[in-house]
Amino acid sequence: MKVNAEKNNGLCRLQIEGEMTISAATELKKSLLDNLANCSELEIDLSQVSEMDTTGFQLLFLVKREASLLNKVFRIISHSPKTLSVLKLYNMKDFFES
Amino acid sequence: MAKTIMIIDDSASIRMVVSIALKKTGYEVIEAKDGKDALGKMTGQKIHLILCDVNMPNMDGISFLKSIKQNQNYKFTPIIMLTTESQEAKKQEGKAAGAKAWVVKPFKPEQMLSAIEKLVLP
Amino acid sequence: MKTDPVLQTFIIESSENVQEMENSLLQLETSPDDEDTINALFRAAHTIKGSAGIVGIDNVERFTHIVENVLEQVRLGEIKVTGDLIGLLLKCCDHIGRLVDILSEGEDKAGNPDLEFEGQSIMEQLTAYIVADKDDLPSAQKDTQGVAGERKEISSDNRMVETGNWHISLKFSRDVLRDGMDPLSFITYLSKLGEIAGLTTLHDAIPDAGEMDPESCYLGFEIDFRSDSDKQTIEDVFEFVQEDCEISILPLHSENKADPPVVGAAPEKQEQIKAFKAKEAKTIRVDTNKLDQLINMVGELVIANANIDQQAQRIRDNSLLESASALSRLVEDIRDRAMKVRMVPIGETFNRFKRVVRDISRNTGKDIELVISGGDTELDKGVIEKIGDPLMHLIRNSADHGIEEADERLALNKPGKGTIRLNAFQETGSIVIEVSDDGRGLNRSRIMNKAMERGIINPGQSLSDREMYDLIFEPGFSTAQKVTKVSGRGVGMDVVKRNIETLRGSVDVESHEGVGATVHIRLPLTMAIIDGFMVGVGPLFYVIPLDMVVECLELSEADRQASLKRNYADLHGKVLPFLRLRDLFNEQNGRPPYEHVVVVQYAGRKTGLVVDELHGEVQAVIKSLGRVYKDIKGVSGATILGDGTVALILDVPGLVQTAKRMRKV
Repeated sequence: MKVNAEKNNGLCRLQIEGEMTISAATELKKSLLDNLANCSELEIDLSQVSEMDTTGFQLLFLVKREASLLNKVFRIISHSPKTLSVLKLYNMKDFFES
Repeated sequence: MAKTIMIIDDSASIRMVVSIALKKTGYEVIEAKDGKDALGKMTGQKIHLILCDVNMPNMDGISFLKSIKQNQNYKFTPIIMLTTESQEAKKQEGKAAGAKAWVVKPFKPEQMLSAIEKLVLP
Repeated sequence: MKTDPVLQTFIIESSENVQEMENSLLQLETSPDDEDTINALFRAAHTIKGSAGIVGIDNVERFTHIVENVLEQVRLGEIKVTGDLIGLLLKCCDHIGRLVDILSEGEDKAGNPDLEFEGQSIMEQLTAYIVADKDDLPSAQKDTQGVAGERKEISSDNRMVETGNWHISLKFSRDVLRDGMDPLSFITYLSKLGEIAGLTTLHDAIPDAGEMDPESCYLGFEIDFRSDSDKQTIEDVFEFVQEDCEISILPLHSENKADPPVVGAAPEKQEQIKAFKAKEAKTIRVDTNKLDQLINMVGELVIANANIDQQAQRIRDNSLLESASALSRLVEDIRDRAMKVRMVPIGETFNRFKRVVRDISRNTGKDIELVISGGDTELDKGVIEKIGDPLMHLIRNSADHGIEEADERLALNKPGKGTIRLNAFQETGSIVIEVSDDGRGLNRSRIMNKAMERGIINPGQSLSDREMYDLIFEPGFSTAQKVTKVSGRGVGMDVVKRNIETLRGSVDVESHEGVGATVHIRLPLTMAIIDGFMVGVGPLFYVIPLDMVVECLELSEADRQASLKRNYADLHGKVLPFLRLRDLFNEQNGRPPYEHVVVVQYAGRKTGLVVDELHGEVQAVIKSLGRVYKDIKGVSGATILGDGTVALILDVPGLVQTAKRMRKV
């Protein structure tokens, strides 16, 4: 898994590449939270994610919740088929679009 | 992309039956005849699930399990342990070591496939 | 033994299965090796045995068990299908049929030695087959559980007719992901066994960012599942996690709900069975789709009738007017009756929570009693189907968080046993369902703090209890782990609220700290047709559900002038908040010389709606607005008037809320 960050003023755009699975969960959590801490608006591009398991889902949820606690903007700007199918199965697609 | 499953059993005929059924369903299969053989063959491979017999020469299933749980690359890989009903003590030991899925021998290929499907996404 | 609709269902089902067996046997006469037919034959016998076991019809179960054993061997090719065997099996069908018939006739089984003798003799012949064809002993104890289909569970206190609808609650262990197992794959597998009709992911347990372990699993799921699989098959999906995870799989049984409850207490069984026999002829099972089509047609009829009514008014022909009004009365009558057909008592939905509460009691070690009342209150079938989930949430909340541990309760001078009450009753135009507990109640100051922290309210803002407790339904409030832990509330309450609102209902909570909390759910009486009161604003028509209208007033000039500056008026000396629909819907056309106030009431709150014109009562067939219009504030649906024009149905609960909020500002 690789996280590419692109920063512009307060906006931070993250592109996650590879597997959002348990092996990478610790690293991903840190990366997501660090980036959130240093921006006012966080955009995540999931289009290059090849696998996502429940740890990946939980981290997306955590960051979205954390962002709203900190009054920051969070959005997912694109999905890969894998990430979309996880959100659909968990019936949480609307949650991440709201 | 096809998922890769490793079958570890000292009986060649069991490996063959399982392997044929798995390949027919679309899985890639790596066969190993005991724990030691398995550790050697898995290095560098992406493995999605391990089927592992308990009673084997060289390195038995429980030792293999414990060693896998120490391995950064494979410690989260789902494992199904294959056992006969009489091995209750082994089963408890294995569960404590982190193997929660057990299938009792003899099993039919369909039973094995449905057990695998419960753990690995298609 | 339960002798209510369960027995009746058993009789119907078994008669059908005996028929199925006969058909299969007759088919086997021409093609004795046909596997599908043999399997069908086996399944039918298997089902009869299984359900006889559940319902407690021992003689049927015992007899069919032997039949099943023979058929099992036929299936495995160990016994050959011969003409003689078919003849014997047909005799078996007749015998099972007679045993079932006796049940509906209410004859005393013990008093029928002939039948018993007949059964004994057939059983001997069957056993001869088993012995003749097999060297070992008859496989009477042989486990036939592996057979796909109907392994039914027998539990002494919870006999249910499985209808293929299940509710599955899952709470995964923290370690499940580390053990290499993912809820995703189990649920994906589950979806192959049937249809996941609804799924709610419970994420409240995900802790604050600092404490959250990314490798731990914090999720739970509430799943509505439709499948023909039996409970065991569904349980088996989770076999690898069953030891470490909380799993409950409940069959939802809805068969024959429409029947009035059979005489309570314990009259003579024979009496009851006779009553069944009598009733058997009076009830038929109808596909709900057929019913819905019928109700749709009635809806169209109402519209067409309104049209005729208008034409008649226009033509002013007296005899036509008379006929039209006679027709109206009939249509109204048909409408009411059609709606009643869909109404079923909520009791059975309530009853299934007994098991839930019992399970929670056992898991948490708390002693909790569920007290049910108002079970015969009737609701629309569609509503009943959808209310289960929100109720499940609320009851779990009460049991998990509301009710204190026994020693804590004793220290507070409360009885050690906690009580959760489920109650339902009808109240002007609504059905009210209450879930209450005698636990610790909501913690005002915690909610206040959290709301301020979240910026939902401003510091210094003072809120009534009611307004305060309403905050727990705010989205985002529920995700706050701290609130959940400390005040013990807020678990998915926004989801509960949303579910109820999609049923055009509303929810609120009343709480007394240390004494307990009560959640009130208000639901509309019917889903499809309402009596409405039509008003006009500008060129448009709006319909207000009639049972929420309290009175209509003309807006006095003084109030009118004043109302431009404030949004409340004086009603019989009391402050009445009101809403100008023209402002709400951005009506640009000029203000008419007179305006009217329609006073509506919802959940104890009165609000005035300022409109241009009053048009009087109408019957409105509710058409749902498409997705696009779903979010329009203040409107809950649309209806088509007799002349084809469209009127919007006002969402009174929503408007009352809006008016309340505006007053605060």
